[in-house]
Amino acid sequence: MSAQATDVTPAPSAKGALRRRLPGSLAWHLGSLAILAVILYPVIWVIGGSFKESGDIVGSLDLFPGDPILSNYTSLTDGIADISISTFFFNSLLLAVGSVIGIVVSCSLTAYAFAKIRFAGRNLLFTLMIGTLLLPYHVLLIPQYVLFRNMDMINTYTPLLLGKYLATEAFFVFLMVQFMRNLPRELDEAARLDGCGHFRIYWSIVLPLCRPALITSAIFTFINSWNDFMGPLIYLNEPGKYTVSLGLKMFVDQEGLANYGGMIAMSLVALLPVLAFFLAFQRYLIDGMATSGLKG
Amino acid sequence: MQQDGNAEKRTGRRTILKAAGASLAVAGLGATATACGGGSGSGDGTVTIRYSWWGAEDRAERINKTIALFEKKYPKIKVKTDFQPYTDFWKKFNTQASGGNPPDVFQNAIGFLRKYDAKNVLLDLSEQTEAGNLSMDGFRAGLEKFGEIDGKLLGVPVGSNSMALVIDKPVHTRAGSKPEQGWTWDDFDEAMTRIRDRTGRAGDSGMYGVMYLYDLYLRQNGKAFFTEDGLGFSEADLTAWWTKAEKGVKSGLFADPKKVAQIKPKSALSAELAGSEFTWDNFTVRYTSEGKSEYGLAPIPTTDGKRTGQYLGSLMLSAYKRTEHPKEVAQFIDFMVHDPEVAKIMGYDRGVPTTQAQYDAYQPTDPVNKAIAAYEASLVEAGVLEQITPHPNGADICEAAFLRIAEEMALGERSVEDAVKQFFSESKTALAG
Repeated sequence: MSAQATDVTPAPSAKGALRRRLPGSLAWHLGSLAILAVILYPVIWVIGGSFKESGDIVGSLDLFPGDPILSNYTSLTDGIADISISTFFFNSLLLAVGSVIGIVVSCSLTAYAFAKIRFAGRNLLFTLMIGTLLLPYHVLLIPQYVLFRNMDMINTYTPLLLGKYLATEAFFVFLMVQFMRNLPRELDEAARLDGCGHFRIYWSIVLPLCRPALITSAIFTFINSWNDFMGPLIYLNEPGKYTVSLGLKMFVDQEGLANYGGMIAMSLVALLPVLAFFLAFQRYLIDGMATSGLKG
Repeated sequence: MQQDGNAEKRTGRRTILKAAGASLAVAGLGATATACGGGSGSGDGTVTIRYSWWGAEDRAERINKTIALFEKKYPKIKVKTDFQPYTDFWKKFNTQASGGNPPDVFQNAIGFLRKYDAKNVLLDLSEQTEAGNLSMDGFRAGLEKFGEIDGKLLGVPVGSNSMALVIDKPVHTRAGSKPEQGWTWDDFDEAMTRIRDRTGRAGDSGMYGVMYLYDLYLRQNGKAFFTEDGLGFSEADLTAWWTKAEKGVKSGLFADPKKVAQIKPKSALSAELAGSEFTWDNFTVRYTSEGKSEYGLAPIPTTDGKRTGQYLGSLMLSAYKRTEHPKEVAQFIDFMVHDPEVAKIMGYDRGVPTTQAQYDAYQPTDPVNKAIAAYEASLVEAGVLEQITPHPNGADICEAAFLRIAEEMALGERSVEDAVKQFFSESKTALAG
């Protein structure tokens, strides 16, 4: 009863405030919606396109098909060029998960060394490592290819994974080093007093505190590996070993019949794992930022 | 095919397991993985050759069927395939060639012959011809000479094409245009004007950027796009060609280049922006699947009423110079160009079959492929086919530059004068390599 009374009293003022704020907030929302529509248009176009006939897709601005068809999706179950679609997804997933494990383990170990251990030449090595960021991928491409060819590793996943296990992704090392430097020194000093060695400090103190940096690296690595085209293109020589990004390219060639419908349907399906991975891990990311924010 | 599908899946899974093992080995030990060593011979005398081409899934399914036939006939040879779209194919091939690991046999085009011959990548197949592993007999219209350069047989043609004017038939009929063998550029201009005036559509999609068409025009006038080692025309020639093009774009005879760029990868013809397009005759198949209209093939306009300057172009199969299995590669190419069953499977996918035996084996039944066959037959009948223009090392880069710079000119980003200069400076660099 009393609740009702208290409800009544603020109502007029709230209404007044609403009336005062209404034009501004309406304009704000309409503006945001307009921008959102522009941003989402291509996405909706692609979704609509996946239900169109191949001939109606390219060159048409219509969002939705006049006569929606499912055959773009059902035809995916037949596979591309005698290879089942699931093969491409399995290969991509294998590479993406393999890359994530490699990056998280190797880059964090390397970062620990750079951030927490004093050793001769540390600054020089760190500078050199940052320097590798400046080398364009295409400069390394052919020397790397020759190297892996001489080691007889072409047409395996090794060239695509090996570097990830050897902490060659300087950006992620850098990210983790910066994160670890901000961790209070007292924590590892306390651990040392309790008799921990480097590995124990790394494993029990630093790694748990670095979770946001690890998750960020994992998300970016997964997405990069899933979308990588040049690497698999150069190193894999058998359609049976192809990844999704290569498989998508099999639908269209300028000389032959182009199956745009199949390509769009498959690219939408190919988005799902990335989306799922991001959704599964982003809450840890936000969680981590919130907790580290409180501490800082 | 059912069986093949299963086999494919089985090998697929096995290689994945191997790869998984390899990646685990890397993860666990940091050791180099040796699980998938790529030896191409094995104990029982079976050899494996690698075969790459550019194309999409449809071509891949056809090629897989022809390979199944080949492996049945030659049980000691296994063929591993690999394919990408055109541009990705050459990116990959270039890396492989630089890294000393190109496929044993691969699809090739005329613009790349001298380039990769200069890089020592292409095998001279004439030794294999002499050894009896590869027959160069029975080719149509002198095509056996097509892949010969400086006396070396660097490529074996698999499917011939020629340039044509692909037209939207109803549009041309409405405009009252009747292209026929021997029509002139004046007739062509008149037809384009009529199409624009009567149908409200541009006459042509943008012929000024098509290197292979400009080549024909030059040949009609006693020149050619390339000589053995350079460009076969002057800056004044190109200025005249592109000045005419600029006028055509402005007056609406050629499709609005902005719109043409927007609807890519669809063609301006099938998107109903233009009534015709100069391209290779086999593109009609693609346009028919893309567009809603009925498409036909019209002859190339002439300067003197006779010469079109045309020649047969062709995709080829080439081999890697240091392949470990030259004999098997030659047998493979031989099978692919001579076996009648192969022609029945491939159809006109890569162009009209180049050997008489394959040409006779496949009779197209659909209207589009029938039209392509009729068009090529009409060229032979009219006696307009000549020797192909030489393609020097760097021809592929010149072709891409020609198309790009012409488009920039049409879009108004460059003046004609500037475009001509840019093309000559870029092609000079490309041809010097």
